[in-house]
Amino acid sequence: MSVSRPAFLMLLAVVLAALAVYPFFGTGYGVRSMLQLFMWIALAGSWNLISGLTGYVSFGHVAFFGIGAYTASVLITKAAWAWLPAALAGGVMALVLAVVIGWPCLRLKGPYFAIAMLGLDEVLRALVSYFEGLTGGGFGLSLPTLQATFPIYYVMGATAVAVTLLTYLVITSRFGLRLMTIREDEIAAEVMGIDTFRHKLMALLLSAVGPGIVGGLAARDQGYIEPISVFPLATTITMIVMVLFGGKGTVWGPVLGATVLFFLQEAVWARFIYLHQLLFGAIIIAVVLLMPRGVLGLLQLKYRLPRTI
Amino acid sequence: MNVVVTPAMVGQVIVSGILAGALYAMVALGLALIFGVMRVINIAHGPLLMLGAYATYFLYTATGINPYLTLPITMGALFVVGMLLQRTLVFRVVDAPELSSLLLTFGVSIALVNLAQLGFSSDLRAVEFLTGSFLVGPVAFSKSRLVAFLVAAAITAAAFVFLKSTRVGKAIRATSQSREVAMVCGINVQRIHLLTFGLAAALAGAGGTLIAMIVAIQPEMGQIWTFKSFLVIVLGGAGNYPGALLGGMLLGLVEQLASLFLTTQLSEAVAYVLLVVVLLVRPTGLLGGRQT
Repeated sequence: MSVSRPAFLMLLAVVLAALAVYPFFGTGYGVRSMLQLFMWIALAGSWNLISGLTGYVSFGHVAFFGIGAYTASVLITKAAWAWLPAALAGGVMALVLAVVIGWPCLRLKGPYFAIAMLGLDEVLRALVSYFEGLTGGGFGLSLPTLQATFPIYYVMGATAVAVTLLTYLVITSRFGLRLMTIREDEIAAEVMGIDTFRHKLMALLLSAVGPGIVGGLAARDQGYIEPISVFPLATTITMIVMVLFGGKGTVWGPVLGATVLFFLQEAVWARFIYLHQLLFGAIIIAVVLLMPRGVLGLLQLKYRLPRTI
Repeated sequence: MNVVVTPAMVGQVIVSGILAGALYAMVALGLALIFGVMRVINIAHGPLLMLGAYATYFLYTATGINPYLTLPITMGALFVVGMLLQRTLVFRVVDAPELSSLLLTFGVSIALVNLAQLGFSSDLRAVEFLTGSFLVGPVAFSKSRLVAFLVAAAITAAAFVFLKSTRVGKAIRATSQSREVAMVCGINVQRIHLLTFGLAAALAGAGGTLIAMIVAIQPEMGQIWTFKSFLVIVLGGAGNYPGALLGGMLLGLVEQLASLFLTTQLSEAVAYVLLVVVLLVRPTGLLGGRQT
C-alpha cells in the first residue's frame, strides 16, 4: 500500500483547515495545548535543519529560543513594541547569535560545534542574570497583561507551517542535497567543490531564526520570563528526542515526533519529571542504536513512502 | 569596576589557578584518551565525575572514613562502570558517524543525571572534611584544594608513566595513532577500547572524589565538567596528551583571573569566550596537532 500524493495533500489541507477554525470551538486549555504543539513542531523542525541535514549536532538550540524570548520581552517592556514585530526582532537576534557562534565553530570539522553549543545556554543564562538593568536579572521580566492567545495561536501555527515548508524546500533543493552530502562525507563534499563552511553556516542561520521567533511568541504568551525558564537544557533535549523519534533529516519526521511525544508528555509524563527525562535519555540511546531513521523510517519501509519527505 | 590589583592578589590568582589546573588536567585527560583512541567525545564524562562525588559522599557518611581513602574505591567502581558502558553501548557507535556517538553519549548523560535525581534527590550535599585554609605570606591555600592538587598531580603523573612505559599504555597510544596498524601488530583493539573507557571513567571518578570536598554535590554538577574538559583538550591540542596539562593550568589561571574582576557566574562565561577565541585563532591548540 502506498499513499498517493493528491490524497496526502487533501488530508493536509483538511488538517490545516480544522486547525484554523479550532480556536472558535475549542476550550481554552485545548487552544493553549495546540499552541504549544505548534511551538514544538517549529522547534523540532528547526533543530532538524542543522543537525538532521548536516549531521552537526546542536546541544544548545534552546539558546536561540531564549535569546528570542529576551529580545522580544525587553522590546515590549522597555520600548513598548507590539508583540509581533518584537517576536520577529527575536528571530533577528537569534540570527546574530548564530553568526557569532557558527563563524568560529563551523569552520572546523568535528565535534567543536556540538560542544560549543553545549555551553552556550549556560553562558547566556549568566549574561542575562548579569545585565540586570535590562533583563531584570534573576527576578525576570513581567510583560504587561494582554489577552492575545488567539492571534498568537495563529502566528505560532504559521511559524510551524513555515519551518516545515522551509524544510521541504531545502530538502528538495540542490542546497539541501549539498547539506546532506556534508552529512554523509564532508571531505567528499569539499572535493566536489562545495563550500562546506558557507553551507553549514547557512543551515545554522535557517535553523536559528525559527526558535528566535518562537521564543518571542512564547514569552508574550506566558507573560513572564526569567533566566531559568527560557534557557532550560530540557527544551533542547525535548527537541532532539522529537526529531530522533520521528526521523531525522526528513520533512515529516519532526512533525510526527513532536505531535506524538507532545501528547504523551501532556497526558502521562508531565507528572513524573525526572522519570520523564530519564525516559528521554533512554529513547535517544534506543533510537541511535536500534532505529536511526526513526518512526518515519519504519513507516517508509513498510508503506514504500519517499525516503526524505 | 574599580579593582585595585595588589601583588598579593596576583599571587593568589596564580596559586588558585594552578591548584585548580591540575584537577582540570586530570579529568580532561580521561576525555582526551577516549577521543584519541576512539574518536568519540564522551558527553557523559562530567556525569561520571558526578557519580564519583556521590560515591565518596555516601561512603563517607555511611562509614565515616577519611574521604580521601575512598579514592581507590571510586576509581575502581567507575572503572567498572566505564567498561560496562563501553561493552554495552559505546562500542556499537565507534565506527558510526560522529552524530551517533555524540547523541548516544548525550543520551547516557541525561539518563545518568536523572537517575541521580531519582535516586539521590536534588538536595545539595557536602563532605565537610579538611575545611579552611592556611596562609603563606599574604596568599591563602585552601587545604582541600591543595590536597586535591597534590593527588590530581600524582594521578596524572602516574597516568603518563602508565601510557609511556607499560605494554598496555603503549598499546593504547598505538591504537590512538592508527587502529589498523595496531591490529596488524597483534593488539586486541576491542580490549584496548574497553580499558581506555574504564581508565577515562576512573579519572573522572577520581575528579569526583576530590571535588566532593570542595563544592556542593548535586546531580547536575557534572555537565559543566564535560565542557571544561573539552576546553582543556582544545587549549592543549586534540590528541596531544601532555597538552592537557598545559590546557588545565591555563583554564585554571584564566578563570581565577576573571573572578578577580567579574562575578562567579560571569567567570564561567570567560571559559566559553576562551574556547571561541582559541577555535578562531589557533584551532589546533596551543601546542599544535597530534603527537602522542
